[in-house]
Amino acid sequence: MECDKIAKDFASILDELTCNSKPIISTLTKMAEENIGCAQQMVDAIERRIERCVPNQKLYAFYVLDSICKNAGSPYTIYFSRNLAQLYKRTYLIVDNQTRSDLIKMFKTWLMPSSSSMGDHLFGKEALDAIERFLVKASALHQKHVAAPTVPGLLREIDKLSLLTRERAAQNPHDAKLKTKVVVLQQLKQELQREKMPPQALQQVQMQLRQIFAQEQQVLQQQHQQQQLQHQHQQQRLPRKALSTPPPQAPGATPAPRESEPVSLFGTPSLSSSFFPNASNIQPPTSEPSQKASKVQALYDTLRAEGLVKPVPQQSVVTLDRILSQNHKESAQTTLPPLNLLKDILGDVQSHFSTVGVDILNTPNLQLCQQTVIQDNPTVMQLRHLLYRYKPNKCSTCGKRFGSSEEEKKQERDHLDWHFRINKRIKGTAGANGATAKNIQSRNWYLDDTQWQRFNDEEIVSTTRSETDSVTLANLDASTASSSFSTSKFDAKSAPEKTEADLAKKYVTVPETHEDMSFQCPICREVQSAVYNDDIGEWIWPNCIQSQGKYFHSTCFHEAVEETPQQALNQGLERLKGLAG
Amino acid sequence: MASLPGLNDSLHPADLGVDLNEPKHVSITAGSEWRVDVPQESKLTIKVHSGVAEIFGTELASDVPYVFQGTKFAVYAVEDAEFEWTSPELTSHSISSDTNMKFIYNVHFALEKLRVSSFEGPRVLIVGESCTGKTSLAKTLCAYAIKFKAHQPMMVNLNPQECIYSPPGCLTATPISDVIDVSSSTWGQSMTSGATKLHNKQPIVKSFGLEQISENKERYVSTFQQLANAVRGRVQNDSTVRRSGLIIDTPPLGQLSDDFSELKEIIYQFKVNAVVVCAKDDTLALKLNEHLPVETLAIVRLPTSSGVVQTDDVYKRALQRNAIREYFYGDFNTVLSPYTIGVDSDMITVWQPKSVLVQSDSQDDLLPVEINASNLQHALVAISYASRRSSSEEVSASPILGFALIMDVNDTKRKLRVLLPVPGLLPDKAMILTAYRYLE
Ligand SMILES: [Zn+2]
Ligand SMILES: [Zn+2]
Repeated sequence: MECDKIAKDFASILDELTCNSKPIISTLTKMAEENIGCAQQMVDAIERRIERCVPNQKLYAFYVLDSICKNAGSPYTIYFSRNLAQLYKRTYLIVDNQTRSDLIKMFKTWLMPSSSSMGDHLFGKEALDAIERFLVKASALHQKHVAAPTVPGLLREIDKLSLLTRERAAQNPHDAKLKTKVVVLQQLKQELQREKMPPQALQQVQMQLRQIFAQEQQVLQQQHQQQQLQHQHQQQRLPRKALSTPPPQAPGATPAPRESEPVSLFGTPSLSSSFFPNASNIQPPTSEPSQKASKVQALYDTLRAEGLVKPVPQQSVVTLDRILSQNHKESAQTTLPPLNLLKDILGDVQSHFSTVGVDILNTPNLQLCQQTVIQDNPTVMQLRHLLYRYKPNKCSTCGKRFGSSEEEKKQERDHLDWHFRINKRIKGTAGANGATAKNIQSRNWYLDDTQWQRFNDEEIVSTTRSETDSVTLANLDASTASSSFSTSKFDAKSAPEKTEADLAKKYVTVPETHEDMSFQCPICREVQSAVYNDDIGEWIWPNCIQSQGKYFHSTCFHEAVEETPQQALNQGLERLKGLAG
Repeated sequence: MASLPGLNDSLHPADLGVDLNEPKHVSITAGSEWRVDVPQESKLTIKVHSGVAEIFGTELASDVPYVFQGTKFAVYAVEDAEFEWTSPELTSHSISSDTNMKFIYNVHFALEKLRVSSFEGPRVLIVGESCTGKTSLAKTLCAYAIKFKAHQPMMVNLNPQECIYSPPGCLTATPISDVIDVSSSTWGQSMTSGATKLHNKQPIVKSFGLEQISENKERYVSTFQQLANAVRGRVQNDSTVRRSGLIIDTPPLGQLSDDFSELKEIIYQFKVNAVVVCAKDDTLALKLNEHLPVETLAIVRLPTSSGVVQTDDVYKRALQRNAIREYFYGDFNTVLSPYTIGVDSDMITVWQPKSVLVQSDSQDDLLPVEINASNLQHALVAISYASRRSSSEEVSASPILGFALIMDVNDTKRKLRVLLPVPGLLPDKAMILTAYRYLE
């Protein structure tokens, strides 16, 4: 009887815990210590509170749990151990990243040997293990930690880079750009030593250094290959160049003269394309350098005023421009990229920071409802970058964007090659007899329903297909008059759809040994991330099956097996052989 | 031999470089748009110098000229953008920051979340009265859907007066597998036999053939049912399209029945699970909430932009005319060579869809057409896959091979001149007359 009243009081005080209030937490801890006989009721109350309160208050209830266990010890630790893992996991999944890291901090203290439980862990080993396994995977999925750069670390990077650049400058004594680069690196080093920079600025510097570094290594590698394949290389050089700067689109436009080839500060235009996405389009400024510099400053000031860039005393790009514009006359040949380019760089950097760790799947407030459509959603403002500068490399012909992953870079190269081939075909190709084969063409017939249903647009959009690959054309002889038109609405098709839904329901629990939280389906090449299934309390890959040590989308696998029964048969035979031996 | 009648000189690429006027420079601040109305006989060229600018969701390449003719559109500045434009005529244009882009981004990312969290992408129906921005919204949503991940949303056009990868009078479905052609009023080219600047698209086309849906609502319903059947099969086979979902544009609600019966059938046929209502206020959305199966539908309203263009019949007809010309002759980027042949009038069979405007006692959906000049001169006809001697039901149910233009009918010699998109013989197939006429 008395316990009921105490539990009621306890619960009502708990309800007031809407902020991280030390007094409330100690009051509750004290109540728990003094009423061990009512431990079960109080444990129930806390668990209920954690389950039911709004996400941003769950942490404080956890603090109560933490405080009671650390101060009162058993039986609270024993009672809480029962549901702890479930409670912790569920909470973790619905709170924001800050709360997540607070939860992780708290968990780490549980792993310390505790005084109240005489050197043992605070909670049962089973519960702690379950949480730890969960966290290992969850943090791999939710947060990509980047080690914060430090000034000494950056200085070392600059030294290495300077060394590489000097080496190259020694080999190319006439390359003024390389000399400038050495000077710029030196200036950067001095400024890093002189000024105190906030972490974000250091990160920007680091990012830029890494990119320059990668380019430098690429150049050195190429030089190495060049020495080995001097003759072949000379022949390859011309088409390569043509590819990296596709011919201008406007008919009648004359090609840009050689002298005005874009000057890029850090390497050749094609190599710096990821750093200066539009480098190949932009001509160096030839007039009003000081006015441009002040425009850059003004732009930077606006961005800062609007809080779009953090106050950074040494935003390298801007500073470099200022430094170089001061002694413009002496360094006439080392003009910086023009204003548009600097804007682009700032835009890319800004977009990079707003999309780090962004994951649409785990973004709240995006369910399709009226509220979502009309609200001012700051997350959507961030997500918008995914449509633009998140992929920093924009095709200069069609405006399509490409990201900076290796795969996307390959796609971009294939895409540019495709434009190049197509442009050549549009202009007409010179035949062996000197006649020009013109690109005379006409509209195709439409495909019939059956052909269209089997068609895959990969046939159109693939940039790596050869001109001689077969093309799906309308089959005029098809007696398809009404083959695909069924008046029975859904009924005819409902059976296969059902099995497909069943297939999609298959899942695989992410194996403990798998170092990655995602797998790549070998059939459709799509990367599938894990999702947490609350019912079974495990991370799973939905629509997934395992076959011979590989993971597939079960729908893809099924389709593939259906199409190639022979292959499946062979696989089965192989497996049988393996069993026999 | 092939002849190229009426290939308008103004379409010729060499003409592009000639500028009668100096280029004019415009800068628009982020979040604003530049709205322009290019008259039919005029032409406008845009070149972006800096910033990020897009037209109905498709980002423009920098320093590349884009040419527009006889169209109304807006350039939206995602970031501050500077561009130049050139037009020999006086072109009316304005800048406005009053757009509904904020809401469109919200809708897009809600759809994107559905795409990444399920194996069946969202099936979105866009509804509204005329001039509420339905088609622009459909275009923008398609354009955004292909940007971040390699999605291929299926664009379904159920408005026969709209021309999307087809001539007018059609209902179409097209996987948007690559960039939309911003300067084409038909969104770009359906498949051609040669090299084109952008990747072409492969639509499935069903010919409704009449001008107004109200002329034969049963035919309208059976036409979109046929389309839905085709789409269902494609979505089943094509996992990329299935995961990307459908974006369905519809005719102005005023053209459909007041009891929403066609809308309900569309929702059923295409398994629609989201409805976006383009409207100034909530009235329509509330009404739809009462009449549609809300258990399986999310109904949201998108506030209209102040930029929606009030299109009149003249403008619409001009667009339809352009679409017919483009089908046969291409545009200034892609010049096509159609083919004219002569045929005897007893070598062709033509049907026409029943219409309330034409008196008939027949129960059939298609009625036979007598081959003479008054019926067929300058007519756009759909060529079906059904053989010439098929019954009216067979022709009704048959897929569409393409379109032909009857250029000339000589009643005394009983001969016709027919323009075909593809060189070769006239296919021995039944044809269906459309309500559209085209004069070179
Ligand atoms: Zn491109
Ligand atoms: Zn797959």
